[in-house]
Amino acid sequence: MQVQLTINKKQHTLNLKGNETLLEVLRDHLSLTGTKTACQETECGTCTVMINGKAVLSCITLAANVQGEEITSIEGLAEGDVLHPVQQAFIDHGSVQCGFCIPGMIMSTVALLQKNPNPTQEEIEYGLDGNICRCAGYPKIFEAVREAGKKMIK
Amino acid sequence: MALTTKSKYADNYVDPVGKSVPRIEGRGIVTGQLKYVFDVQMANMLVGKMLRSPHAHARIISIDTSKAEALPGVKAIVTAKDTYQIKFGSNEYFFPHTVDQMALESEKVRYIGDEVAAVAAVDDETADEALRLIDVKYEVLPGVFEIEEAMKPGAPQIHEALNNIALILPVNFNNPERMMKEADLVREDKFWCPVAHPSPMEPHVCVGQWETFTNKITLWSSSQAPFKCREALAKTLKMDLNDVRVIKMAVGGGFGGKLEMLPMDFAACLLSKKAGGLPVKICLTREEEFTTTRRKHGMIYKVKTGVKKDGTILAMTGEVLADGGAYCSYGPTVLAAAMMRIFMVYKIQHFKMTGYRVYTNNPISGAMRGFGGVQSGFAIESHMDLIAKDLGMDPIEFRLKNITEPNMTTVNKMILTTNGLRECIEKALVASDWANKHGKMKHLKRGLGIGIAADVMGSKMYKSHESAGAIVKVEEDGSVYFFTGAADTGQGSNTALSQIAAQELGVSFSRIKCKSGDTEITPFDTGSFASRVTFISGNASLLAGRDAKRQILEIVAKDKNLDVEEIDIRAEKVVFKKDARLIMSFDKALELCYSFHYGKQIIGRGSYNPKTTPIDFRSGEGNVSGSYGFEAQIAEVEVDTDTGVVKVLELWDAHDIGRAINPQSCEGQIEGSLAMGLGYTFYEDLRFKNGRVLNPNFAGYRVPRSIGIPKMNSIMVETNDPEGPFGAKGMGEAALLPTSAAIANAVEDAIGVRIKELPITPDKIIKALKEKQGTQ
Amino acid sequence: MLINPLTLHLPKTPLEAAKLYKELEDSKVLAGGTFLLNSMKLLKTKGTKTAKNVLSLSQVLEFRGVTVQGDTLTIKAMTRINELLESPLPEGHLNILHTVCRNISTNPIRNMATIGGNLTCRYTWTEMGAVMMALDAQMHFLGPDGKEEMILPEDFFKNAARSEKLFTHVTIPIQSSSKAAYRRVKKTIHVDVPMLAVCVKTDLKGKQWYNTRIGINNGVAFAQRDAALEAFLNQSTSAADLGEKALEHLTTAIYDTRSSDYKKHMFRVSLRTAIEEICKSS
Repeated sequence: MQVQLTINKKQHTLNLKGNETLLEVLRDHLSLTGTKTACQETECGTCTVMINGKAVLSCITLAANVQGEEITSIEGLAEGDVLHPVQQAFIDHGSVQCGFCIPGMIMSTVALLQKNPNPTQEEIEYGLDGNICRCAGYPKIFEAVREAGKKMIK
Repeated sequence: MALTTKSKYADNYVDPVGKSVPRIEGRGIVTGQLKYVFDVQMANMLVGKMLRSPHAHARIISIDTSKAEALPGVKAIVTAKDTYQIKFGSNEYFFPHTVDQMALESEKVRYIGDEVAAVAAVDDETADEALRLIDVKYEVLPGVFEIEEAMKPGAPQIHEALNNIALILPVNFNNPERMMKEADLVREDKFWCPVAHPSPMEPHVCVGQWETFTNKITLWSSSQAPFKCREALAKTLKMDLNDVRVIKMAVGGGFGGKLEMLPMDFAACLLSKKAGGLPVKICLTREEEFTTTRRKHGMIYKVKTGVKKDGTILAMTGEVLADGGAYCSYGPTVLAAAMMRIFMVYKIQHFKMTGYRVYTNNPISGAMRGFGGVQSGFAIESHMDLIAKDLGMDPIEFRLKNITEPNMTTVNKMILTTNGLRECIEKALVASDWANKHGKMKHLKRGLGIGIAADVMGSKMYKSHESAGAIVKVEEDGSVYFFTGAADTGQGSNTALSQIAAQELGVSFSRIKCKSGDTEITPFDTGSFASRVTFISGNASLLAGRDAKRQILEIVAKDKNLDVEEIDIRAEKVVFKKDARLIMSFDKALELCYSFHYGKQIIGRGSYNPKTTPIDFRSGEGNVSGSYGFEAQIAEVEVDTDTGVVKVLELWDAHDIGRAINPQSCEGQIEGSLAMGLGYTFYEDLRFKNGRVLNPNFAGYRVPRSIGIPKMNSIMVETNDPEGPFGAKGMGEAALLPTSAAIANAVEDAIGVRIKELPITPDKIIKALKEKQGTQ
Repeated sequence: MLINPLTLHLPKTPLEAAKLYKELEDSKVLAGGTFLLNSMKLLKTKGTKTAKNVLSLSQVLEFRGVTVQGDTLTIKAMTRINELLESPLPEGHLNILHTVCRNISTNPIRNMATIGGNLTCRYTWTEMGAVMMALDAQMHFLGPDGKEEMILPEDFFKNAARSEKLFTHVTIPIQSSSKAAYRRVKKTIHVDVPMLAVCVKTDLKGKQWYNTRIGINNGVAFAQRDAALEAFLNQSTSAADLGEKALEHLTTAIYDTRSSDYKKHMFRVSLRTAIEEICKSS
């Protein structure tokens, strides 16, 4: 079946069988390997993308079920060479270590800050609770979220 | 070119040591473009999968792969008969008898998940179907799953080891029995340290490719120790080291689980050979990750200490029983580390402890961050608090009375040089406001607890040497290549080592491009473990930078008729050492080196092997590390006595790191370690029943998430170690060693309840409170 | 491929959806997908067959929204958990719906999972069923013939069979004299779903409790009510020790079924503190 997907502001017409997850379309069909998968059980958050500005798990999203929605993956944040404030903040505040959780973590952060650029600590914690980070222990991630939010208010 | 032309590299990153230089990989990570082996896609790449034993203990009667081989789309199948059947392990050098695992078993399987065969097919579905079609006939044997059961005579025999004891490690010094009799107080405690799992976010994944016309293999592996992997592959495939290339790409975390060759690495290479050289990718599912890689040793830790009433420790005895699972892996070194760390922390002269590493038909225990120190940290630091309580002494006073000092040799011959333990304790004490809080917040059900620890920087525990090499290659346009064998798994070693090399070479960090962890291109390095990289690989990097600098200075000296000993390169300039007078810019010096007259390639080499001695495992003696790191950690908790929930309000970690090469990375390591320590204290508990993992997924094995992370205070204590590169030590593991005890001690301070079996869960708190009420 | 081959159906209207729901053989409803698609992946890894037809409700706009009309709160089936969390609710006892939503799973799941899915899949561990029971909710269904039907949650949860009609929305009465309290205990070291959840609702006449509803989720059976406790509380007035006294009037079978000591303890703590919370606010 023909499936039309809008990913990172680009239209893609794909010939799919219908049972492909959005994750597989991104990684295998479009070679957008920034979105990861680490559990296949909805727990880790490394497959997080944004659909219509909300953080969702691409590993349990049927590609054929999200035609017409605005899909954003990690590759869609930077504008050419200019990084999104959240991406820049994660670098500046030492929030990245092994990096495997970061694309998903950044997508959850962007979704949070786009709606609420000045979140409380509790709102940050609940906004990121779907993304496991095994390396950083979170404090520097919280710092990056706060600072990026400040930049996004301007 | 004018002498005073400003170099384009005269930026913020000149003199980079001590600066929080952003991670080299940062941009790649945040844009999702950094490639992990997980992301590797190659033309004609096959999907590989492992066939695993469904039984915890069984004899293999026959393996019939014929139906699977006939399945269209299957390109190769391998079993033990395709191999040389050479065993591999992780402690060959000291304990050859613990080399006990085959890449593919042919006689026996010893845990659920043990590898029996491997397939390579065109896609996932075909590979799965092929696995289903391989017919293995087993004779199921009785299994044994508890440590103490496994040690009993008559228990099912897993290997040849008598009573399933792979190793007994006796550590004996002087006369503890006699000293115990002179003690005013003797206290005995038993602790249970549960099984945790490294659970890196990137699962184990590898791609193997056999070059058929040269019989050379290339393995891309998510590995913490590519050279160790190469060594094991060469051994089991009977190849020369220079015919095996292991390439580490970005690694999504290791934490000890990716420190050795696994059967999947071996199988990927062999499958590729059988498939005519097509690359074969094997990626573990999360369930395989939990059940068939490596886990922490569960330990029963018994300890007995005799003290004088003024708090002086006279003697300590004990016993450690470690659940090793089906094969040995790093077991011996984990056990040794679990018993000998105490000498780095406390002055003890009379000591007797025996450790047993026991085989069971459970999944394999190996090295997990902390290497036995997490278990001993919990046991010993809880025990110390209990003794202090019995004596009526403040827990910090008691510790200060017994801690080690700078420039001393321990009873087991560890040479402690710089030792910031006292300063760490004092700083943590002040930062947490211990004096006003400890013992004074019971009405709020709040409490403070302390735990202290020490860490090594590497140890010659598995090989004759643990040297690291580095190369600094300066190109004629002034850009610099830096080659290190060190394996960055996210802790930032690429960045930190580049900082060290740049600092010593005298140039800005911005000149450096780092290439790491490729056994064919980068020099040898044992890998990322035992917190060794900053110290050992760092020194190699420093020496390589120094060598390159020397080569440049020799040309300048010759050209300008100067004494090479009187000149240096600092902050992008060649200068006189005495008064820092400018001679020429770094770029000008390079022009000179590569000029018609001199034409000299600048290739700096560094090799560093710490001046240590391996542990003598008969006596427990040995100065295992070139330097030792120290820390003190204090936790503040609040307990809800209705629900039993313990909330950690704040953590203070004062850490003797020698010198912070990259302060932001140091903090990141401390914070990450603290989080892992919280996980071990409260949620991480891999449970087994009859050899089956009951919770092999993130739903059942909880790791810390963003909710409920306490405020973390990292206090760096810089003791400027004389042996470390620019004074630095290492610290990748230490911060999670005392966390569980600090929290357990804080819980006792808050509500008077002592938990001796981790994890600390609400039901244990409620039960303990009820028992306490019952006895009042 | 992570999921077995399937045919995806995308109706555009409620009636179309209800018809397909009746007619399609070997089919499952796709609401948020957090349970269905996850379980389809898991079943495939085990070699188990999965549904050939998947009926997606994502294109039916009439299934979305949270509205208040007069004294009725209506929550449509495809309302995402986070949408309900962010919807302004009338002041009063209904704000426990926010608390319930807040405690469900993780953020991306809350963005995807729906009220309809949470209620109709009848897991033994979902909290929503017990809460709807306590709030006097009514569940509404649509048949292929266009006819609507109302089923009370307790009747819906008694019958494990797949209903003939498609769930469309839930209505909850708004009464100013109502008070409610909710407690949920996670299985902290094991699966992060509720070990138990209790929801207590009562309408107060001064301090007198009446029309009390106790919805319980004990993680073993489907949501149920504690009739004995309801009866006792309906004879009671708010007092500081009412929570403690109430613990002697429990239908113990609900709480003791396959319960560890800790779980029994937490049931008592949860009920006691929920009742105390209501007493304090009256």
